[in-house]
Amino acid sequence: MWLVRPAQPGDLKDILDIAGGQGPRMSSTLPKKEEALSLKIDQSARSFAGKNSAGEAKRFLFVLEDTDTGKVLGVSGIDARAGNGQPFYNYRKDALIHASHELGVSRRVEVLYPSHALTDHTLLCSFTIKPELRGTDAFELLSRARMLFIAAHRHLFTDHTVVEIQGVQTESGEVPFWDSLGRHFFNMDFETADQYSGMLSKTFIAELMPPNPIYVTLLSKAAQQALGQPHEQTRATFALLQHEGFQGGCYLDIFDAGPVLEARTDALKSVVTSHPKILHAANTDDGEMCLISGGENDGFRCTLTPLTESLADEVKVPLKTWKCLGISSGDEVRITPL
Amino acid sequence: MLLIRPLQENDLDALYAMAQGAGKGLTTLPADRELLQKKINHTRETFNQRCAPEAGLYLFALEDTELKRCVGISGIQARVGLDEVFYNYRLSVTVNASRELGVHVRTPTLHLSNDMTDTTEICSLLLSGSHRGGGAGLLLSRCRFMYLDDFRKHFSEKVFAEMRGVSDGNGQSPLWDALGSQFFDMEFSEADILSGLGNKSFIAELMPKYPIYLPMLPDAARAVIGRVHENTAPALKMLQAEGFNFNGMVDIFDGGPVVEAFIHNIRTVREGINRHVMIRKKPLDMNVPAEDQVMISNGSFRDFRVTTIPAGCIELDTVSIPAEVAEALEVESGDRVRLAPLKDTGRR
Repeated sequence: MWLVRPAQPGDLKDILDIAGGQGPRMSSTLPKKEEALSLKIDQSARSFAGKNSAGEAKRFLFVLEDTDTGKVLGVSGIDARAGNGQPFYNYRKDALIHASHELGVSRRVEVLYPSHALTDHTLLCSFTIKPELRGTDAFELLSRARMLFIAAHRHLFTDHTVVEIQGVQTESGEVPFWDSLGRHFFNMDFETADQYSGMLSKTFIAELMPPNPIYVTLLSKAAQQALGQPHEQTRATFALLQHEGFQGGCYLDIFDAGPVLEARTDALKSVVTSHPKILHAANTDDGEMCLISGGENDGFRCTLTPLTESLADEVKVPLKTWKCLGISSGDEVRITPL
Repeated sequence: MLLIRPLQENDLDALYAMAQGAGKGLTTLPADRELLQKKINHTRETFNQRCAPEAGLYLFALEDTELKRCVGISGIQARVGLDEVFYNYRLSVTVNASRELGVHVRTPTLHLSNDMTDTTEICSLLLSGSHRGGGAGLLLSRCRFMYLDDFRKHFSEKVFAEMRGVSDGNGQSPLWDALGSQFFDMEFSEADILSGLGNKSFIAELMPKYPIYLPMLPDAARAVIGRVHENTAPALKMLQAEGFNFNGMVDIFDGGPVVEAFIHNIRTVREGINRHVMIRKKPLDMNVPAEDQVMISNGSFRDFRVTTIPAGCIELDTVSIPAEVAEALEVESGDRVRLAPLKDTGRR
């Protein structure tokens, strides 16, 4: 069975394996260095346990486990506050009208403004999965388990949730937006900058990013076309998140101009539909496949289950689901259709 | 004899012919009779002190006294940017550095600026093809410095000139194509004409207000920032010899440089001397090379006149000039005149 649970120190090797197997950007906020990753897992464990030290940001890291083999095949995360106490950088695409009454001219000029507006919004991040699982039920489970966690621990999160989608990158690894803009200022290739942003404090962004707004028309044609466009490989993620209720707005990633999707936390589909219900045993394995989550804090678990019967306040699911979630009859669970 | 004098009502036809002959690139003097007439009117009001000093436009004509016709023109605008907004780009540097990463990047950046506001501009220099060479251009340009020095209270301490930037034979400007045209859908030559007709600040209002990072512009555009059109190179050299320097400002359309100098530092001003006129009876060979000529001015505000004479005419307290020169300058024996070298001889 597929199980999503909080990451543990023992998952380090598996996670490194997944992160290392990804293309340059597929692991944006997931460090590839053992030491950094280990620290991140520890921080996540403290966040789940509610034992963060004073001033430490709450950052949750989930893993997708195949319970038959014990192997971890995917990772996803939530930062309770984007930026984790530091500024969270985006470009905001906005427009100015350059008009002259005397010359009878009016022209729309698009501008990218450096923005910190999304700082402190809840951020879905670190989504990484083995390529062969992309688009499967396990893929959906890994992503949406986070929404169920948010629903069950709503007080930890803010009213708005955002998620950055990887932007356009060519097959040879070139990022048109970076080549047209960032490269001139950071004096490094995209991959290096991307790694730094996963590893280092974000101070270097403040230091190196051009401080003034950028006119879209002065970017290369390829960079202009890439604005707000998701990477080919993120299509499944993109569709899934749109289905959840996320929408692209005016915010773009500062490195690759990928879209930043936004949603009202309380309007997320999984949050709206997953009312708490009391668990009961079912005798059969029949029923519609659903996501089911149970447990609190570091006991949080989420899996897929056939839903045998659903009443107003109660659900009946097979026993193996109980075992997987580590819960028993009478416990409260959340359930939402696939 | 070549004589500098204020532009007159009856210079309109000559002026129009010159503007027509000048072709593209001379934005300050478009071949438009109505506009030229306005400029003449404005200039007349200025010399007759019927307009506020800061609104003054001083246009000087170079008259060929044999032809009795204006063959060149040059001007001083007392102040720019007072009744419209005067724009330039300031070429500056943005530095981004990260000690942590050992990165230190300098990015040349254009900032939109109004810094030349309320400054005196020398402008509108145009000389008929028939009179080029032999020092006529020098006289036309440098006579203005004598005027600026004589009437300093009418001008700012600093004066500047906008030099024509690079454009090709078809009137295409690499900077305009890369920058201006992205914001104002028009060919450079059209925009240039509109500027000449007094619409420059309107166009400028459509231009980008935020700084422009040069690495985002194509190489061809970056290469022309602060560079002059090849036809303007001699004019730049002449101003540099007078002590003008590039001040970091460039034209927002074609990237041509702005050069400036404090009036008291201008060579023609520093090397100027005063003498009393003595009308000579002895014949004088006026035909000497430009190196041996000096400018002589009557120092009159309303009827400023300048011509050139051989340097040999200068004596200890006086300058001895033929009667016809005195007549052209409207001076008599005993009047004080100002003299300055026509050409930079390298003397200091």
